[in-house]
Amino acid sequence: MLSFVVMMCPVGIGVALIRRHARGVPSGPAVRDDVPARLLRWAAGLLSARRGEWGQAMLGELDHIEGRGARWRFAVGCAGAALLLPPWGRAGPSVGAIAALAAGTAGLCAVEVVRYGLGGSGWVTAAVMLAFLAGFALAASVLLRRPGIAVPGLLGGLLVAAAWLAMSGFTFYGVIAPVTAPFRPLLPVAGTPLLVGAAGTLWGGNAAAGRRIARLAALSASLGLGLFGTIAVAVLGAGGPPGTPGWTAGQNINDRLGNNIVEFLVLLPLVTATIGWAAAAATARISPRLTASVASVPVVAGGSGGSGGSGGRHEAEAASRVRTWRGTTYRLLLCAATAAAVLLAVVAWLRG
Amino acid sequence: MQRNRPPSAQAIGVLRALAADPERWRYGYDLVTEVHLKSGSLYPILVRLADRGLLETSWEPGPGSRPPRHLYRLTQAGREYVAALPAARADRAAARPRTRWSEA
Repeated sequence: MLSFVVMMCPVGIGVALIRRHARGVPSGPAVRDDVPARLLRWAAGLLSARRGEWGQAMLGELDHIEGRGARWRFAVGCAGAALLLPPWGRAGPSVGAIAALAAGTAGLCAVEVVRYGLGGSGWVTAAVMLAFLAGFALAASVLLRRPGIAVPGLLGGLLVAAAWLAMSGFTFYGVIAPVTAPFRPLLPVAGTPLLVGAAGTLWGGNAAAGRRIARLAALSASLGLGLFGTIAVAVLGAGGPPGTPGWTAGQNINDRLGNNIVEFLVLLPLVTATIGWAAAAATARISPRLTASVASVPVVAGGSGGSGGSGGRHEAEAASRVRTWRGTTYRLLLCAATAAAVLLAVVAWLRG
Repeated sequence: MQRNRPPSAQAIGVLRALAADPERWRYGYDLVTEVHLKSGSLYPILVRLADRGLLETSWEPGPGSRPPRHLYRLTQAGREYVAALPAARADRAAARPRTRWSEA
């Protein structure tokens, strides 16, 4: 499983980077396009339609601020305000549920540290878990505010969680027990994110929506299984599957909590987001419907002059060469990802 | 449901800064520097004041291709609201400038 993750991550990151560069920076109203402006543009996009005017107000003000430090401070402050500014609309209950999941997991972990007297190492585990949970809850709350992402993302999260739980037979004992046949669960674990990424892209109508749906599915499944795993540790306590010989009960419990972090808060979101990301990109490229919709978008001439002279022609040729190079690299990476997935599926079938 | 909570000391500071010259339209960043608030605190306050009808907004077209800027000033209701603020509360808000580590 670990080798699979290591193999898939560079591929997914490569695909993502190329897709990001290929998309380019959307032209907004702000003339400056430094990092603070991009950050604020991203955060302003999260505001509800009712508050859209305020996002434009922040962006317009930022454009008139001089000095790197002042721009950063203004943009970070405004981005924080945009993230929290109500109304959140239909995303509110979902964000509350996600926050409750994270808080419940963190609280239960702290209870276990105290109950079993895990001491300093236990608190380190709890702090690491809290950092993951807080980051995931924040990231999920941002995604939930995007229109059209919440429902498919949460449904995808349920699907992914069910696939991972199926590995343990839906039991607390199975969640705690070490995986003895690491290749057996590969197909559902890898196949579900593929399904989520592809279906999300078709649902949302573009690759960006598919990627967001895959990310939300990864985060929500991770938070859900994080809670399930922590409950399993609490219920089984020092019992359940045999621990490491020579270790105390506290050490074994701490080890189980740490395993939960690695499995559910690191591996699960990494695998799901990476494969889902690649699946979304591939679906957007392959699907005739999406390809047709992208091709029908008129190309707007860039640049300030727009005279269409020889300079413009050279720029267009250079841009075309860059697009060709990116397209070739992108196809190579997709082929590599597909080959890796097929190879691993064959290995899993042979060993299963 | 709109809740009309009593304004915070920071909101009172913004109101008083706007009330100092109620006819003049103000930029957001000018208020940030004048009231010594972070932008992350100022804009939610402006949004709440606008929601309550105490603040009116306008757009100033940007020069050339630059984006427009948002402008703010008190409405008549906002001016009356500031005038009706208890003096002690307003003084306390004014006499307690917040020490800030950033936003030069």
